[in-house]
Amino acid sequence: MTLLVFIASLVGAMAIGVPVAFALMFCGVVLMWFMGMFNSQIIAQNMIIGADTFTLLAIPFFVLAGELMNSGGLSKRIIEFAIACVGHIRGGLGIVAIMAAVIMASISGSAAADTAALAAILIPMMARAGYNVPRSAGLIASGGIIAPVIPPSMAFIVFGVSANVSITQLFMAGIVPGLLMGLSLILTWQFVVRKDNIQPLPKAPMSARLNATGRAAWALGMPVIILGGIKAGVVTPTEAAVIAAFYALFVGMFIYRELKPRDLPRVILQAAKTTAVIMFLVCAALVSAWLITAANIPTEITGYIEPLIDRPKLLMFAIMILVLIVGTALDLTPSILILTPVLMPIIKQAGIDPIYFGVMFVMNCCIGLITPPVGVVLNVVSGVGRVPLGKVTVGILPFLLAQTALLMLLVLFPELITVPAQWLR
Amino acid sequence: MQKAIDRFYKVLEFLLIILLSGMAVMVFVNVVMRYAMNSGLTVSDELARYFFVWVTFIGAVVSFREHGHMGVETLVALFGRKGRVICMAVSNVVIIGVSAIFFWGTWKQFPINWSMSAPVTGLSMGFVYGIGFFTGAGCVIIALERLIRLLTGRVTEEELAAFAGENMSLEHLAERS
Amino acid sequence: EFNDRNIRVSNGINADHPVGNGIEAMQKCLDEKSGGKLKLTAFWGGALGGDLQATQALRSGVQEAVVTSSSPLVGIEPALGVFDLPFLFANAEEAYKVLDGKFGEMMNEKLAAVGLVNLAYWENGFRNLSNSVRPVAKWEDFEGLKVRVMQNNIFLDTFQNLGANATPMAFGEVFSALETKTIDAQENPYVTIDTSKFFEVQKYITETNHAYTPFLFLFSKAIFDTYTPEEQAALRECAVVGRDVERQVIAELNKKSLEKIKAAGLEVNVLSPEEQTRIREKSMVVYQKHMDEIGAEIVDAVLAELAEIRK
Ligand code: NA
Ligand code: NA
Repeated sequence: MTLLVFIASLVGAMAIGVPVAFALMFCGVVLMWFMGMFNSQIIAQNMIIGADTFTLLAIPFFVLAGELMNSGGLSKRIIEFAIACVGHIRGGLGIVAIMAAVIMASISGSAAADTAALAAILIPMMARAGYNVPRSAGLIASGGIIAPVIPPSMAFIVFGVSANVSITQLFMAGIVPGLLMGLSLILTWQFVVRKDNIQPLPKAPMSARLNATGRAAWALGMPVIILGGIKAGVVTPTEAAVIAAFYALFVGMFIYRELKPRDLPRVILQAAKTTAVIMFLVCAALVSAWLITAANIPTEITGYIEPLIDRPKLLMFAIMILVLIVGTALDLTPSILILTPVLMPIIKQAGIDPIYFGVMFVMNCCIGLITPPVGVVLNVVSGVGRVPLGKVTVGILPFLLAQTALLMLLVLFPELITVPAQWLR
Repeated sequence: MQKAIDRFYKVLEFLLIILLSGMAVMVFVNVVMRYAMNSGLTVSDELARYFFVWVTFIGAVVSFREHGHMGVETLVALFGRKGRVICMAVSNVVIIGVSAIFFWGTWKQFPINWSMSAPVTGLSMGFVYGIGFFTGAGCVIIALERLIRLLTGRVTEEELAAFAGENMSLEHLAERS
Repeated sequence: EFNDRNIRVSNGINADHPVGNGIEAMQKCLDEKSGGKLKLTAFWGGALGGDLQATQALRSGVQEAVVTSSSPLVGIEPALGVFDLPFLFANAEEAYKVLDGKFGEMMNEKLAAVGLVNLAYWENGFRNLSNSVRPVAKWEDFEGLKVRVMQNNIFLDTFQNLGANATPMAFGEVFSALETKTIDAQENPYVTIDTSKFFEVQKYITETNHAYTPFLFLFSKAIFDTYTPEEQAALRECAVVGRDVERQVIAELNKKSLEKIKAAGLEVNVLSPEEQTRIREKSMVVYQKHMDEIGAEIVDAVLAELAEIRK
């Protein structure tokens, strides 16, 4: 019954257009009232304590690093580097898009920002080369959603904090699935363009390729610093985030000289607003999470799904379907924040590795970014690439299927995530 | 009046820039000190966290004014003008309600937070938790102003479009993923 | 006279900690006294928020009870910092005598003044140091060790004073940080070192017994005052029953945990009594430095009571 009150109040408020953060607060108020323990201090206290967490400080810094990466010309150098490497292969620009997406994913955590940067440069190029434009846009959008799976990732930080799981371990466990996402996209792309008659780009001479690599070297240094630093244990994720931000600032200002001091306030303000939107949501979710726990809702759910507890793969499958459905309508961060407090106790009881679950969950929520009707990354690619939303939705289908198939493959073979995660720990 | 309000938000934006830069510098200096000189300032870790709280709750008001908070517009987008106006009115009533409760809770809890001091800096936690006054009141005022304009028929078409999730800027989309 | 009461008890630790046994025993005692009317519902692993958050919820009458270590609460009641002072108690017996006696009562009055009823002092256990660099058996061995400590000025000063590089860090990141050698050392009770598996990524452990920060079984004064005298008495008495069970289980578990840590191949060291006295004397600067904020009368009272016991 409490579960029903929780779902009805939350979904009802969201449906009439209340922003998710306020809807979560509303659902908290309704739950308190229903449980006969209304107290305004529950709202006030849980809201603010949520932001007072050192681990979450990684969020603004990674957001800042991503903004600086795009404003400072690092994205452009990465794409040029990818063209120099694989542009001449059949279907080359598609492979360029994915290669660049993976490299950018290892610097930034924002699917929308990465997609925007890729779409702005690559969609016009792909159109000129004669590729089907909606399909190219679809590929770039599905490449963009790799960003939150490969570290650094705001999604992993938010999940890690609300599920109380090590963020370092989540980061390390995300690398291989992120690469698999890229691989599945390249394979699908090569399959769908096999009959298109497109001249690949001419192979650039060795000197030009070395030049592009040299120019990109400073940008390519960033993933090395972030991942290397965390992996070698030199820094915590929060520290890696702040180092990444200063490194991107330095490279953008003094090496590539595309970032002017007068741009800085705008970039920092944008990062602050993005941070505030994510964090306000995190804080509001802590209010409802506290009440979900106090009301023992996870226990209620466990009662309903009792038979699945002993069948972890079936349970994972069921949860993945649920998350896919939720993801059609809800953005990445809200999905994580709303579902984690409900699902995590069940995951623990079923004996599923929380790190494995976290990676699968985040990957699944990322797929939600490219499913209609609400798919933020679809909107980005449609806006930046000037392709109608309806056409992108069709163009993305093969890649959406590939990502979903990969997800299901990982349900069947969790070892694909857990074994490499062990190596990389 | 409008000019004064705009100037007020400019000040808030300036504050956000200062706070975020301050956080970054404090944490960065600490990392450098820890590895270069094998010592760190515990003060800066704590202060950075409090700056973070302020960025979050000041930024929440600024973003609310710009329709920046994530919502699910699927259903609302299907409605015509009248339906959207009704939904927006009810939605603002909900926001006023929860923001007022947030303010009220901050008020009731203020004495116990005021009397608690931060472990390292010794700063009263009233300064940290008191931000609830600003955010609670800020959201109530913005939503109330919107509600009054809705009920008196002075709401702009842009606002209704923003409420239904149309014409979102790239910045707004970026905040969502 | 008993009413139906649902008492939510928040715990930062997990259900398999001896506090779980204590709460079970306390519930049994409450069942007998109240005919099943007083019910404890325990929440584990910080599910209802961190210790500090839960304690604030108690003060504002939002939630009934919390079992928390004294350290996070110094911002609320500075006198509690006395339990963070290094090498205060030499052994568990000393701690029991001081806490369950006059001094404990004095602290309870301080807590009542900030809206918290302390039903009893439960046990967290002495804190010990593990590291991956070298055996630590004397003062000089601490030099340069990167030690994770709680965000707490007295702990920070204690380890800085010993020559170590004290680094505050969230508990959740400690395992990874030890494994990747971001930090060399951590300090926690044996049971925590065992249950959090820190021993898997450490080579040496020293029974430093450098701090005994008790668990407090705190009740919201705002809510407690609405209970009948019988209910209040039952809660106080049963908290003591729970305390005794918890202390006994933790003592046994400490031995088991140490055995497990030894079996995992860690080299175990002990500070000799001479070395312990030497370190305690050297640590007196930390006592001096924090005397004012804790309250000189508090520090003097505990030292006087200890001197009495040690006679
Ligand atoms: Na990323
Ligand atoms: Na979607």
